[in-house]
Amino acid sequence: MHMRNKIIRHLSLVLALMMFAGVLAACNNGSGGSVQGGKEGTSPTDKGEKVTLQFYMLGDAPKDLPVIESEINKLAEADLNVNVKFNYTSWTDWDQKYKLLLSSGQPIDLIFTADWTFYQSYAKKGAFLPLDELLPKAAPTLQSHVPDDMWNAVKINEKIYTVPSTWIEYVTEGIAYREDLREKYNLPKPESLETLEAYLEGIKANEPSMIPIADNNSNHTHGIRQLTSKLVNTAGQLPYGLDIMYDSPSTITSYWGSAQHLEDLKTYKRWMDKGFFPKNVLNVKDTSNSLLQNGKAAVVLSGENPNKFNADVIKVQSTHPDWKLGYFAYPNAKGFAQPVHPIHNGFAIPRSSKNPEKALAFYEKLVTDKRYNWLTEYGVEGKNFEVQDGYYKMVGDAQTNGFPREGMNGWAWRNPDFMLYDKTFDDVLAMFEELDKIKKPDIFTGFAEDWTPFQAEKAALEQVEKQYLYPLNVGLVADVEAGLNTFMEKAKQAGLEKIQAEYTKQWQEYLKSAGIQ
Amino acid sequence: MHTTRARDSEFTLLFKIIAYGVILILSIMCLLPFLLILSGSFSSNESIVRDGYHLFPTDFSLEGYQMVFKFPTQVLKAYGVTVFTTVVGTALGLFLITMAGFVLQRKDFKYRNTFSFFIYFTTLFGGGLVPWYIMLANYFNLTDTYTVLIFPGLMTPFLIILMKNFIRSAVPDELVESAKMDGANDFRIYFSIVLKLAMPGIATVGLFLALGYWNDWFTSSLFINNPDMYQLQFYLYNTMNTITFIDQMAIGTGITLSLDVPTESTKMAMAIVVTGPILFLYPFVQRYFVKGLTIGAVKG
Repeated sequence: MHMRNKIIRHLSLVLALMMFAGVLAACNNGSGGSVQGGKEGTSPTDKGEKVTLQFYMLGDAPKDLPVIESEINKLAEADLNVNVKFNYTSWTDWDQKYKLLLSSGQPIDLIFTADWTFYQSYAKKGAFLPLDELLPKAAPTLQSHVPDDMWNAVKINEKIYTVPSTWIEYVTEGIAYREDLREKYNLPKPESLETLEAYLEGIKANEPSMIPIADNNSNHTHGIRQLTSKLVNTAGQLPYGLDIMYDSPSTITSYWGSAQHLEDLKTYKRWMDKGFFPKNVLNVKDTSNSLLQNGKAAVVLSGENPNKFNADVIKVQSTHPDWKLGYFAYPNAKGFAQPVHPIHNGFAIPRSSKNPEKALAFYEKLVTDKRYNWLTEYGVEGKNFEVQDGYYKMVGDAQTNGFPREGMNGWAWRNPDFMLYDKTFDDVLAMFEELDKIKKPDIFTGFAEDWTPFQAEKAALEQVEKQYLYPLNVGLVADVEAGLNTFMEKAKQAGLEKIQAEYTKQWQEYLKSAGIQ
Repeated sequence: MHTTRARDSEFTLLFKIIAYGVILILSIMCLLPFLLILSGSFSSNESIVRDGYHLFPTDFSLEGYQMVFKFPTQVLKAYGVTVFTTVVGTALGLFLITMAGFVLQRKDFKYRNTFSFFIYFTTLFGGGLVPWYIMLANYFNLTDTYTVLIFPGLMTPFLIILMKNFIRSAVPDELVESAKMDGANDFRIYFSIVLKLAMPGIATVGLFLALGYWNDWFTSSLFINNPDMYQLQFYLYNTMNTITFIDQMAIGTGITLSLDVPTESTKMAMAIVVTGPILFLYPFVQRYFVKGLTIGAVKG
């Protein structure tokens, strides 16, 4: 007995020591590495020791990635004496992997950032290296390539943590609809709430086998809000039922429970009664686009940005050449369009990087050197793509070609000076040109809410929303007014007022710090 | 006397009816989803989109399977990886688990309770995902290796305990003792006696291990960046996830992914291709299975 106790004590001691050593080693790896990297600093002319950069991108790698990697490495070795290993996270649990990559202290030299990968909050927590001092030293060309206002827009706490992409695009949404049916039955163009309803009625009356609105999870509400209001963000939905209008950003009201909200819900009830939605709309699993492409539905109200609409058109042309699709961009109803914010596509250098200067120098090449840029965006010329009359042309088809256009998911290092477009993209570019005419800066995406003060309430509210608001959104509640009252009551119990107050406070602070009136 | 016996048999009959009824309903509930997948895999995509899933294909078609095997290199590679990890992992795991079980149940092994405690302890308290990840990725440097696909699943405390209890009940101490007296050493005892008597237990644990390796996608997801090393399950899962991603995220991100989205029938065909082989494994070990699990479950 005595003996055994002793053994246990010894073993636990050894175990504890091992753990302690592990923790120490982890600390050393994390902080020591970056300090070292900083000291070693190499100027662009002095190539220094050969290193391998770890490059992380989201999504799946294209088939021909090894070919591209070796081509890039030939160039990079001659220019900078570096090798690059391109790593991909795949789309499965990418958010968790992203977190693990940044928190585990693995040496990573370059990683993709965006507002939707929570760039702002990672930057605030210190996951990335500030680039302000590195840029003029390691990548002067890149620094001058990106305009100053973009550098300013990506700043978090007065520091730059990401290199933004300079290609400007619009991900604003719109209504996609069957133009051929509209012509056939002489229906109005769905460009306002009234004409949309008339169009849907016409479809229902003439095409009884069709479900007029392609919808799942009551996403149509975002679309309708973009059609009928001048909300500050492009997605048509502010969190927690708030309303902030673009022209008066400092005034915040609650959309939920307002007269407008009640009126909208009555509209949805009427639409359900008229049969515009399928009865099981909350359980529909098909994507809106597949419903439109297969001819089951006539209208898509949400998620249809110019790019996606173009993809629908191409698909329909190949499967049903006799159909025609029409598009009405919500910005036309709002009167203004917001291009994507500079933080939408970018690359950062994590703190764990051992070679930040070389990483930045390499990234400069990727963006500003045409050889690097074309290789990583379009593949090997002649093997993966050809340039025909200035257009990008894929060699073979999507199945046989190992590197389709932007196959490396290189959205962040697109360079407008070198970009090649597929011929079908002309329509999207034309739409962008139209939207450019009514362009206004995005004042919403720069704001990053901090939900730690109301995390529990937020989770509770999400439940209430699913249970009480979704059925109202698709007109499944007989008495709309009573239903809305129940929802508001439950939402308040879940802590809606606290959330709205805290969000309002944070938003006002953001407006002040960003100098927006 | 007479009446009680009659009542007994009535009860037995009633019990049997209820038991068969419950089992029947449960089996149907287990079987139906699988039938839906099977029929979906043999339906044309058009008919699935138009009318939804049916128990029997309304519009018979092999297009799903044609798509899966049109460019089979990826699928075959993933298959190869999964077969490899399953075979190697199960064999290695069985060896280690039977060794551990044999040692831990020997009464003449003085610190067996101490060691058992260390094993039990990990079932109660784990470090969680992040330390586990850091351990494998940063310290063992196992990212993008086949080792990482096999190593973490080799031994699970539950299976060691199961094996230990099984060996204890299947191999009497007296047998070990008499073998010793006849001059057998511990390895001889392990190879010639324990392994042979513990066959049902080995089949049970082996099936658990094999299923674990066959169904594993999580390790691929965390540690494998090289698409050629994806396990089959992960290959399938990732394809599905990409579709969900395109649907949900691409709206706000403006991301365009240049790939062909598999159709409904292709997805179902993939599911069948993935589950197929392991389904055939089950009947072969099933006869050991029941025995192994119950004996191993008796605590001693």
